[in-house]
Amino acid sequence: MTVGIHAFIFLASALFAIGLLGVLLRRNTLIVYMSLELMLNAINLALIAFSRYNNTMDGNLLVFFIITVAAAEVAVGLAIIVALYRRRQTVMIEELNALRA
Amino acid sequence: MTIAHYLTGTMLTPAVAAVLIALFCRQRPKLAIALSVGAAAAICAFTALAVIKADGETYRASMEWLTIGDLTIELGFLFDGTSAAMLAMVALVGFLIHVFSIGYMKDDTSPARFFGGLSIFMCAMLGIVLADNLIMIFLFWELVGFSSYMLIGHYLTKPEAAAAAKKAFIVNRIGDLGFVVGIVYAYWNFGTVNLTEMAAVLEVNPDLISTTIAALLMCGFIGKSAQFPLHVWLPDAMAGPTPASALIHAATMVAAGGYFLIRITYLFPQSVLTFILWLGVGLALYAGICAYAQKDIKRVLAYSTLSQLGYVSAAFGLGFSSLALFHLITHAFFKALLFLCAGSVIHGCHHEQNMYRMGGLLKRMPITSITFFIGILALVGVYGLSGYYSKDAILIAGGFVSPAAMVLLTFGAFLTAGYMGRLYWIAFLGEPKSDNAAKAHEGSWTMTLPLIVLAILSIIGGKIGLWPEQLTGYIGAGLDNLAAMDGYDALYNNILIWGTLAWVLGLAGSFFFYGKGAKTDRLEEKARPLYHFIEGRLWFDEVYDYYVAKIQQRFAEVLAFLDVFVLKGLILRGSAGVVGVLGIFSRRLHDGNLHGFVYWFLAGTLIALALALGWLNFS
Repeated sequence: MTVGIHAFIFLASALFAIGLLGVLLRRNTLIVYMSLELMLNAINLALIAFSRYNNTMDGNLLVFFIITVAAAEVAVGLAIIVALYRRRQTVMIEELNALRA
Repeated sequence: MTIAHYLTGTMLTPAVAAVLIALFCRQRPKLAIALSVGAAAAICAFTALAVIKADGETYRASMEWLTIGDLTIELGFLFDGTSAAMLAMVALVGFLIHVFSIGYMKDDTSPARFFGGLSIFMCAMLGIVLADNLIMIFLFWELVGFSSYMLIGHYLTKPEAAAAAKKAFIVNRIGDLGFVVGIVYAYWNFGTVNLTEMAAVLEVNPDLISTTIAALLMCGFIGKSAQFPLHVWLPDAMAGPTPASALIHAATMVAAGGYFLIRITYLFPQSVLTFILWLGVGLALYAGICAYAQKDIKRVLAYSTLSQLGYVSAAFGLGFSSLALFHLITHAFFKALLFLCAGSVIHGCHHEQNMYRMGGLLKRMPITSITFFIGILALVGVYGLSGYYSKDAILIAGGFVSPAAMVLLTFGAFLTAGYMGRLYWIAFLGEPKSDNAAKAHEGSWTMTLPLIVLAILSIIGGKIGLWPEQLTGYIGAGLDNLAAMDGYDALYNNILIWGTLAWVLGLAGSFFFYGKGAKTDRLEEKARPLYHFIEGRLWFDEVYDYYVAKIQQRFAEVLAFLDVFVLKGLILRGSAGVVGVLGIFSRRLHDGNLHGFVYWFLAGTLIALALALGWLNFS
């Protein structure tokens, strides 16, 4: 049995939507951050699926870059969240409103 | 030592004296007086050295002062016959007035300020005399204006002195506006503002002569020399100390306007010359008439100065600028003498200036009275005295060029003799009419000596032959030219008769009309409306006041309204308000909520997507 391209696109779209909703709706910075990663990986999945479908390596290459950059981003992002927590004793978004005009 | 050193010395000594006085001598009047009078003496010495060294040759020297783009402004000397004669006059009269001031300002509260002002004035005046280009003349022109302002307003606590100082300064600004524009126009037209170079340019290309430039530069002269219609400041300027009036507002500064014209004679086309001629004739008669309704001894002399300046500009307008210079210099001698005598009288009478409260001064102040009378005789042009030579030469020149002007100026001479006689008979003869006059006394030798020297100068100042050739070359050449004209002898005799008749009639008429030592003005009693008409002086001041208060002030108020409401209120406040309101709204977007930012980010992404796909098209 072969899994068709539609299934991959559906799965990737679903993951992306879950991630987007997570970013929009969740109040914990950590969860928002995880949702962002979920969106990235949804894109990765879509890229690999299209790459396989077209029998080219372009998408795969791009995914390697994304994973590398995402790894670095995670390191920085998590560090920021930890520093934020140590300073403010909270990571809840509604309390982090110092940018209010 | 070169001539440049001597000339720099004449200008630098009073400048240094003024700086020293301003910095160190405000509380040391004796030192200030010594510095200032010393500087005036040094000017005389340097002048003599420069004249001897130059020996009648024209000397030019200039140095670059500053360069702006293509424009190079220079400071330099043009020391020729004209400036030598003027320099000698300014140095000599200036020194005598400095000496006189020692006695006159003895009881003043701040003599240091006064003498500092005199020194600034001397420096600035010599700058005008020696300058070799229009910009330098203008610089020192403004400096004499400043020192004039400072000295008119010397009595700080008197409101009329402060007002007069302000008036003199502002009225002069009006003339100077024309002067500045004229300089710019001259530079544009001739490519230079150097006096010698402009003359050379005009020699090569006489078509460059411009009525506009001449008329604009004439504006400066009208302001400084108190000609129509800017003459109003000079009578008011008499609020200053009398020696300052003598130096600045009779002998030298007001003469600087005429001297400036003489320096740039070659720029003047016939039309402007004719205008200046009638301007001068008109002023000579107008001021001569106004003097009849003045009771302040200094104001009579001020109108006399105006009238004589009218003669100077008439001489210039006739095309005889050397005669203008001649009359300028003889006038400086006898008018400085008259003013210093008036100062001596005022000093002796404890600052009484009303001639109807004087009387009997001949007995109490003999030296002052006799020298004053010599001054009058020189002024009215008694044969053989200085005023005779210069005034009659002007009348003869008038006879050649414009007989109408000659007749009017001869009538002006009659008026002069009349009002000077009135002043002398009323103030010096008869019995004292006030306690102050009864207690009048002669001042110290520093006050009488300058009077005697100036009286001698007033007698011999017009005899060209007595003076060194280096000083009189320019004037002598002008007189020789005049004498060489056809029909000179007949005209000379006519003028001699009519001129003599004018002063005899004037002096005798005023003696019999007013009577010696009169207590009241007979003209005022007999012909009250006429007297009041003359006293009104054609209402120049009233017209100007009306203009300033009712027209200019209204206009300024309209401008102020535009400024406050339209510019400030609508445009500045208005635009700031629009931006402010926008800011209030856009600030709402920044609520500090991370989710809010994400929505904005999404919206932005969607717009970018729409643009990329071509759904939105702004172009």
